[in-house]
Amino acid sequence: MIHCDQLTKSYPMGSGRKRVLKGIDLDVRPGQHIGFLGRNGAGKTTLIKLIGGVEMPTSGRIRRKMSVSWPLGFGGGFQGSLTGYDNARFIARIYGYEYSEIRDFVEDFSELGAQLRMPVKTYSSGMRARLGFALSLAIEFDCYLIDEIIMVGDANFHQKCHYELFEKRRDRALIFASHSFELVREFCDCALVLDDGLGTIYPDVNEALEVYAAL
Amino acid sequence: MSSFAAGWRIQRRVISALIIRELVTRFGRENIGFLWVMVEPLLFATLVGILWRYMKGPEMHGVSVVAFVASGYIGLTLFRNSVSRSIRVFSVNGSLMYHRQIKVLDFIFVRFLIEMIGAMMAFGFIAVLLMPLGYFPIPADLGALIGGWSLYCLFTFSLCLVLAPLSELSDALEKLVPVTTYVMIPFSGVFNMTSWLTPEAQKVMYYSPFVQGMELMRYGIFGDRVNAQWNLGVPLAGSMIFILIGLALCRRVRRVLVVE
Repeated sequence: MIHCDQLTKSYPMGSGRKRVLKGIDLDVRPGQHIGFLGRNGAGKTTLIKLIGGVEMPTSGRIRRKMSVSWPLGFGGGFQGSLTGYDNARFIARIYGYEYSEIRDFVEDFSELGAQLRMPVKTYSSGMRARLGFALSLAIEFDCYLIDEIIMVGDANFHQKCHYELFEKRRDRALIFASHSFELVREFCDCALVLDDGLGTIYPDVNEALEVYAAL
Repeated sequence: MSSFAAGWRIQRRVISALIIRELVTRFGRENIGFLWVMVEPLLFATLVGILWRYMKGPEMHGVSVVAFVASGYIGLTLFRNSVSRSIRVFSVNGSLMYHRQIKVLDFIFVRFLIEMIGAMMAFGFIAVLLMPLGYFPIPADLGALIGGWSLYCLFTFSLCLVLAPLSELSDALEKLVPVTTYVMIPFSGVFNMTSWLTPEAQKVMYYSPFVQGMELMRYGIFGDRVNAQWNLGVPLAGSMIFILIGLALCRRVRRVLVVE
């Protein structure tokens, strides 16, 4: 379980503060797939960062009773001056995995080939997404946090992500921020619609999508 | 107990991973690789030592100039490097915040640790190199040498612990650090023993934690050939105060830190 209790987050803006989240309550059960819906700037990424522990809430608390991945998104989580292999080594070390295991999976899943020997800062965003996905799927988590990124990459990569995430790991919880109606409808059991810093959870995904479309 | 053991295992894993990451990022794997970490203190200490040797003659106050200056300069470079390394350490390590097992204290500590290991390697290297030439004495009291060095390091680290979060809160700090580290040189005990100074200056030095650590170190190296005076209270109390302030500040800054 992940319990989020009255989460708020504000950032300094000029002389005042911008309140991005104004009190979010959310429970994530093992195996549950939750879609986060909301317009750009509604706070989807912020909420995912809070759940992943990347940033701390301004108030409220989060209790994690299962292992939660780092947020998989376009940025973050890599050391740009290190190579793909060095980043894989680092991840293997801090999560206590065998490097050879991680390396094999990353080579196979990311299909980046010799590029893995180059610094990550030389990667395109699609290549970063491949590496990020490969690294987080190489570590077994109870809950994966995915921010938009699933749309990156070509058809073949989609296919692989689909298999690894929605078939092989269908028993894991998944938090999934997306603008894609299709993906949310297909893979989520419920959805959280974020608007004006508040979140409403809809057990019926279609209803959530309707509300979201009307925003 | 088992959760403590598990925590300790994770802690060790994280620290060693961070050390390797930092070394690879800073020095790469080319030529001498991480050995570069000791090159800077080594060059500083030897070259400044040689300069002083020709300015002041082979000995001052009855001890080898080269050994005296080199031993002081190692400490000074440790202090300067670790302070400049802790500035903005949170921002530059934003990507590490993605992994919850890594705490901000871990990477502040790791950056300091690398500087400390580099300084110690340089010190050992200089001592071994200069001993056969007669420029460096065999340490008179190894315990005092290690104790003095530890005190000096502890205080330097406690200072980093305060400066790291402060540098995130204030941009002015970053600009003030170079001049401050320069101005504090006379209060660091690098180039003189307290007993060589005027009584007024001695009273001031009494309150410098750096000087206290350095005096004990000098006693460890030269023994009774220098008139060393130290107290343990000032550096220990100073370090504890800074560590407490630093921990509180780190906690506060982590809470408001914006990670890309």
